[in-house]
Amino acid sequence: MSVKKDDHEPIRTDALLEKKSSRRTFLKGLSIGAAAGSAALTAGCIGSVEAATPEELKLRWQEFFKKNYRLMSQEEKDGTVARLERLAKMRDNIDLQMGSYPPLDGVLYGYAFNITRCEGFMECVTACVKENNLDRKTNTQYIRIFEMEPGKLDPSTGDGRYYHEVPVENKFYMGTQCFHCEKAPCTKACPTRATWKEPDGIVVVDYDWCIGCRYCQAACPYYGRRFNWGKPEIPRDEITVRQHYLGNRIRPKGKMEKCTFCIQRTRKGRLPACVEACPTGARVFGNLLDPESEIRYVLKHKKVFRMKEELGTDPKFWYFID
Amino acid sequence: MRPLHERNLRTFLADVIRWNLIGSLGFQLFRIILLGVMGLGIYAYSFQARYGLSVTGMNDIVSWGFYISNFTFLVGVAAAAVMLILPAYVFHDPNFHRVVIIGEGVAVGALVMCLTFIMVDLGGPLQAWHLIPGIGIFNFPSSILAWDVLVLNGYLLLNALVPAYILYSHYKGRPADERKYRPFVFLSIFWAFSIHMVTAFLYQGLPARPFWNNPLMGPRFLASAFAAGPALITLILAVIHYSTTYKIDRSVFNKLRLIIVISAIINLLMLFSEVFKEFYFPTHHSSSAVYLFFGMDGRTSLVPWIWTSVCVNLLATLVLAFNPGKSNPKVLLPACLFLFVAIWMEKGIGLIVPGLIPSPLGEVVDYLPTWVELSVTLGIFALGITIVTWLIRAALIIEQDYSSV
Amino acid sequence: MTKQLYSALFLLLCITLISDSGAASEKSVLDEINAAEDRFDSRAVPLFKQVTDERVLAHEEYQGGPFWVLARKSQIERYKCSSCHTDKSMTAQQGRELTHGNVILEHGDEGQGLLCIDCHHPQERDFLEDKKGRKIDFDHSYQLCGQCHFRQKRDWLGGAHGKRALNWAGERTVYNCTTCHDPHSPRFKKRFPATYSVELD
Repeated sequence: MSVKKDDHEPIRTDALLEKKSSRRTFLKGLSIGAAAGSAALTAGCIGSVEAATPEELKLRWQEFFKKNYRLMSQEEKDGTVARLERLAKMRDNIDLQMGSYPPLDGVLYGYAFNITRCEGFMECVTACVKENNLDRKTNTQYIRIFEMEPGKLDPSTGDGRYYHEVPVENKFYMGTQCFHCEKAPCTKACPTRATWKEPDGIVVVDYDWCIGCRYCQAACPYYGRRFNWGKPEIPRDEITVRQHYLGNRIRPKGKMEKCTFCIQRTRKGRLPACVEACPTGARVFGNLLDPESEIRYVLKHKKVFRMKEELGTDPKFWYFID
Repeated sequence: MRPLHERNLRTFLADVIRWNLIGSLGFQLFRIILLGVMGLGIYAYSFQARYGLSVTGMNDIVSWGFYISNFTFLVGVAAAAVMLILPAYVFHDPNFHRVVIIGEGVAVGALVMCLTFIMVDLGGPLQAWHLIPGIGIFNFPSSILAWDVLVLNGYLLLNALVPAYILYSHYKGRPADERKYRPFVFLSIFWAFSIHMVTAFLYQGLPARPFWNNPLMGPRFLASAFAAGPALITLILAVIHYSTTYKIDRSVFNKLRLIIVISAIINLLMLFSEVFKEFYFPTHHSSSAVYLFFGMDGRTSLVPWIWTSVCVNLLATLVLAFNPGKSNPKVLLPACLFLFVAIWMEKGIGLIVPGLIPSPLGEVVDYLPTWVELSVTLGIFALGITIVTWLIRAALIIEQDYSSV
Repeated sequence: MTKQLYSALFLLLCITLISDSGAASEKSVLDEINAAEDRFDSRAVPLFKQVTDERVLAHEEYQGGPFWVLARKSQIERYKCSSCHTDKSMTAQQGRELTHGNVILEHGDEGQGLLCIDCHHPQERDFLEDKKGRKIDFDHSYQLCGQCHFRQKRDWLGGAHGKRALNWAGERTVYNCTTCHDPHSPRFKKRFPATYSVELD
């Protein structure tokens, strides 16, 4: 706060008019110059508008003003997918196969994790990173595996950053990821409804609709969500080109992302990458509404529990022991 | 001042701008420094615009940091304008009537700062239009952030338009019609409480964060806001009293001191209540408080921060309560400043960061803001100070002119 | 005016709370799941990748009917065993290798573990033999393993043990016991994890 100790004359309204005009104009000019300079600085960093072709600019313009994915018709969805494929081809010369296929009828995905069988090999983590085009620079991982001491089931008592030969005697291993809650606190918190639960139970994010406020990340009790703090970097030859708009397409910077139960695979009947990669068969996936499915068998015959069940989030990811 | 018959809306705006561009050397220097700091803020933000929020100290565990901390604190400062409005309009205190416009100016400045902090914290600020109902989607009433957007903008409008109307009437040399604005003033009293409760509910409504998920957050926010806000207003009023011809009666300072003391004592009581709950029988839910007050897993960066804040808070409250020197400004003003800073420390970083540590899976990290965050924050503070200066300067000139007529 | 305002806002608050409630209710997704008893035709799901590995129809059924099992015979290096194991005597170069010297037998506790003859059919070496003397094909070794490991077999049939190949929908193809477990030393070896998690800065 200014305390004008050097200026003994307090400001009087009539005194304001007596100031020299030259000093006033000089200072006015200086202020305007500074403001203009700052504006130029900011403008100069909003994307590389100069380097883009007119076609690319047109596509980006259309992409900028599109609706929330959930409100789009199938035609519009196909349109945005086509634009994204074209943009990827133009910018990075990659041929993507992006889909916008809708959920299957009569399907509600469920997941079970066998904590007796997990040996901490983390094959699931590498498979997930590769399948979902996760940022290699920040080592983003949707799946976390914890080495646990027997006697406690809370992952906060476990070690999530081990790197030694596994399995260690007298320890067990527990994996976490987004649990796709039926009563997800994250979807409730989002101010723009950029994240929601699809009819087949998968909690998804429309990356282009997200404003990056990270309220959902604060609301998630399971550390299920990740944020793109920078632009994701994936080596060209490791990009998975078979993508879904709501799934493993390469996210823009400043957007939230999370496990999508490999929506690009599961909506075509395939297992998620983590389930397929597990060498010990500790992961079970299937349709909860199919009474003959493996996941229903697990829920019926095994002692199952869910993490932080008392929070009432109703996750569709169960742990069980043999 | 131009003659009365020449004044209209266009000259009103022109005069406001003119009054803020001319002044003594000290004032010009002050303006230039603020402009420079804002420029620094914009320069730092350009890095964030280019590289994303990775240039800040935030990560997936501490996903909210310095920006949101300052936002939280400044909503309280904005709400504290009600502590001038209440005595002026409900208790009809004539001395408070003189200073109420200053409080509203501070509220506007603080609110603009809050909204700017939100904008710089967003990962996708260009997508902010997605919030606008009609062309975007507004998740009201489910999302508390949606509520917050509503109440903050509403409060900004109330605190900008009502004084604008009054000032414009006084500028035109006629009294403002109280019947027109009185209901809005009463609305703003209620609204002030609600903006801070809603901001508190942002955190309070998250069962994933046990440090925040307690019913005392809302009332505690109010108590600390009504201690820190009037402390800042006391400082600003003192500056105005000593450096301009707009004199403020001693009784205003005395009454403000009383408001500050009561709120600060309630704040300390609530702090004690929270500390008791966390540490009498520590559970897994207390791990955030343990991290904050004692450190965890070797991470102790916030321990000196919070203890300094609590001790200074206690000391300042005691000084203000027992009032040695009998409202001597040499004692009062530093005490207000220290109280303000202590509450800023505790309610800003001392609330937001520990709420996110440990992560929901128990991992502990330390958080340190980077130069980008610090520069952008300074720039936004400079913006706020500029706005407050502009508003108050124009308001005082008009008021003095009006009362001399 | 203020009173009306307060009451209107109180009403709004009530409506919001009621419409958003349900947090304390007992409803859970499990109610929906347990109520879902209709048969789901997972064959109707369009698959974009089919199982290409060799497979055989299992001799038993799971709760959803018949299912496929990944074949093992093509994976066994020296099948058919009867190419060597005839009634005639024979001379062999690299005798140690050919006489299965590379097989490390660690099936069970040390000293009390299984011996070769506990599983392999003594006369017809192309088959296994269970304790009841039944001939068991290598592709259907689960019938042998399941004699002792009946709990795991029961779980494997249902889906709580083992792994499904490739797809959750469509015809069910599962991994055979010996696809994952080396029958001679079935316990998984200790190894380094495929990756690790970094500390967040």
